[in-house]
Amino acid sequence: MFSRKLIDESGIRADGRRLDELRPIKLEIGVLSNADGSAYIEQGKSKVIAAVYGPRELHPKHLSLPDRAMLRCRYHMAPFSVEQRKSPAPSRREMELSKVVREALEPSIFLEYYPRTSIDVFIEVLEADGGTRCAGITAASLALADAGIPTRDLVSACAAGKVEGLFVLDLTDAEDKASEADVPLAIMPNLGSITLLQMDGMLTLDEFQSIVELAVKGCKQIHSIQREALKAKYVAVKEVVEE
Amino acid sequence: MHNRSGQFVVPGDKIGVIEEFASGPGTYVKEGDVRSKIVGRVVVDLLNKRAFIYPSVRAASFPKVGSVIVGQVQSVQSKLALIRIMKVGKRQLSGFFTGVLHASDIGQGLIKNMRDVCLAGDIIQAKVISEKNMMYHLSIAERNLGVIYAFCSQCGYNLSLRERELRCSRCGNVERRKIALNYGVE
Repeated sequence: MFSRKLIDESGIRADGRRLDELRPIKLEIGVLSNADGSAYIEQGKSKVIAAVYGPRELHPKHLSLPDRAMLRCRYHMAPFSVEQRKSPAPSRREMELSKVVREALEPSIFLEYYPRTSIDVFIEVLEADGGTRCAGITAASLALADAGIPTRDLVSACAAGKVEGLFVLDLTDAEDKASEADVPLAIMPNLGSITLLQMDGMLTLDEFQSIVELAVKGCKQIHSIQREALKAKYVAVKEVVEE
Repeated sequence: MHNRSGQFVVPGDKIGVIEEFASGPGTYVKEGDVRSKIVGRVVVDLLNKRAFIYPSVRAASFPKVGSVIVGQVQSVQSKLALIRIMKVGKRQLSGFFTGVLHASDIGQGLIKNMRDVCLAGDIIQAKVISEKNMMYHLSIAERNLGVIYAFCSQCGYNLSLRERELRCSRCGNVERRKIALNYGVE
């Protein structure tokens, strides 16, 4: 079916990674001047930008909640993010992912601090090469921290799956398409709770458990990268001010 | 030991346990652990046994009772005007909040018509007197509060203050407003 195998005999993948290795991740915080908080993530070839606005007055006002803020999310793929031009109108898949991303971020935020307001999260996929929902969640969580919105924990997300019978971490688009199963996972690493868990494909219970464990490991690595990114942004800024 | 004074923390980082100190601003307690909920630096107040976070970033500010705001008049009815609040104190908001200015909070006796106080488009300086349920009630019953920038209702040119009168410098139209002491300044 494929001209080239995705994983060779020594367990090295098409892009030179080991089975349990993440793609190189680059994180930048505060990239948009007009948003209250923003973050940019590059995970291999996937490039995602996330912006947070708020807490701000919600319009129309009748939608506002009397006891907490309303979290609104928009996951959107740019028309040029994939090989075949994608219509800019939100597709069924994007609408579902918007909901899923919102539910992944919601438990981390102290929404009850800002009644009758809205917190708006915009996730824009600039280039898609697999794992964009996870990259979006990772970036959105940093954007929330950048906006100064109190959160219980950072949310780190990563996918794992089964490709050619082997368990692999952080699937690319090619691996995802050829995979027997794919499990995107988001966790709050310090609290040890899962905020997003999806599965596409078929796995036995044992396989599922080891794939989730693999994904948790990936999320924890991403968490330390997130931490470093925040440190790079805020500790550096402070030193410039002090000089 | 875990993080201590001066330590850089991100949301979710454990600072200590509640047996050591109480949780102050920027921290929360979960299952007996004191954790950070913002990005900043830990400050442990050993005297009062409290830990708090000196924030690196602050969340968007809200109008509070007593704060002086700057906004634009959106619409005027006979007894009230709706104000779009753009600035709280000196800080520009990223979005806006809506405030209500009622005829009873003008402070010049009985106001028969709000159109003698301000018109749509005017820039106004006001004080927040109530914030219940995110309904901001405003007052301009002070000498330093009121319209700080206004436009002619005939031609749209800006009005300038000459001999205690608001006159349009293009068409000569004279208008009525409740103006602030610093009208036209800045």
